[in-house]
Amino acid sequence: MGEVQRNGRPTDPEPGLMIGVLSSADIDDVHAGTLSVLEETGVLVEDEAALDLFADGGCAVDRASHLVRIPAQVVDEALAACPHAGPDAGGESSLGRTEYANFDEGIFYVDPRTGERREPGKEDVAHCARLVDALPNIDSYAAAVRPRDVPAATAAIHGCEAALLETSKSVGAEATTAWEVRVCAELGACVAGGMDELRADESVSFGICPVSPLQLPREATEVIVECARLGLSDTILSMALAGGSAPVGLAGTLVVHNAEVLSGIVLAQLAGPGAPVVYGSSTTAMDLRSGAAAVGTPEIALIGVAVAQLAHRYRLPSLIAGM
Amino acid sequence: MTESGMTFDPVQLAMDDEWIAMIRYFVRGVCVDARTLAIEDIACVGPFGDFLSLPGTLEGASEQSLPTLMDRRVHEEWCADGADDMYARAARRVEELLRDHRREPLADDTRQELAAIVSRADRERAQ
Repeated sequence: MGEVQRNGRPTDPEPGLMIGVLSSADIDDVHAGTLSVLEETGVLVEDEAALDLFADGGCAVDRASHLVRIPAQVVDEALAACPHAGPDAGGESSLGRTEYANFDEGIFYVDPRTGERREPGKEDVAHCARLVDALPNIDSYAAAVRPRDVPAATAAIHGCEAALLETSKSVGAEATTAWEVRVCAELGACVAGGMDELRADESVSFGICPVSPLQLPREATEVIVECARLGLSDTILSMALAGGSAPVGLAGTLVVHNAEVLSGIVLAQLAGPGAPVVYGSSTTAMDLRSGAAAVGTPEIALIGVAVAQLAHRYRLPSLIAGM
Repeated sequence: MTESGMTFDPVQLAMDDEWIAMIRYFVRGVCVDARTLAIEDIACVGPFGDFLSLPGTLEGASEQSLPTLMDRRVHEEWCADGADDMYARAARRVEELLRDHRREPLADDTRQELAAIVSRADRERAQ
């Protein structure tokens, strides 16, 4: 399952526990390391339109290699442009609020009637959303599985429709193109009562993943840009694997992870200043004996807490995988 | 999710829901105030007394963590009651919820509009 951490801090008026694994100096070091990676190593950006946005926004873009080097000042300006959680944001404060969502993007589905592990269909999406609607501690629905019994080109749209019909909790759509973002937004606006209402209640939101290490593929940048232009919430969620697509040490993994997420946030703010973004993480360690992405481990717990601290430093809401 | 997030198991989600309830209980921490310090109750019960018979104890039961899928009974009682494990109980919960739970239905015209948007998308892209 995923966990949405609305940023908290120890001085919150609400009682409860806060934990940290990084000291304030550690966070400074990870942030400084991230800025140097973004400025000197850069990120690989596939799509030409996204390269244009980075270039116009003051980044050093190498058109031949598709490498984008992002100066620290551009990162700082993007972070300042994000709508922030907290007392400065105005309106209802989301400081310290933690919500839970199901884990998403499953390839297979365990049929609860038979126990069989099989490909999911649209009815299974409906059942997942109905279950989320019914369970009191699951606060929002993320696209649990992609239906395989509908046309592949519109599976994300069928999935979004099936979920909206079954749950009044907010729905994560799994768009990978600007067109899918627009159609899913249209579905969400239909239920919310209009696009302004959808922007306000975030009842349909989106999410993308960079490819580790340090790449923003076309699918990611298209969705980031379209969400930013429409003013819809987008989670930029890195899935770095310590020892595989990131350094084996967790600090270096945090740097790669952070650079990927911040590069996506920079693009969002260049495309639509003030666009709502969520700092995402499904980063963990690769089990170097089996090659598996090790979830349910101390590593993913440490990374989850560290990443929440980074998001807190940036005063952004975060979505963190791995219970 | 199982298999590093490859496979979605709705029964596991029902178990997750219960674990989240326990986590939420834990992170709320310990409330310390005059009522919960209970100095008068402690004086009233005194050494070697019991708190079970205090009126406030039963009222306080609703403040405890209340799992419905995990089983805190002793082994003999659990066996006598069929020895279902947590997964089996969660599977029954899922069956009941899928059978009985429905969100407040969307208005008919909203449902038709959603279907029309999806059909249009299919015509545009699903060749």
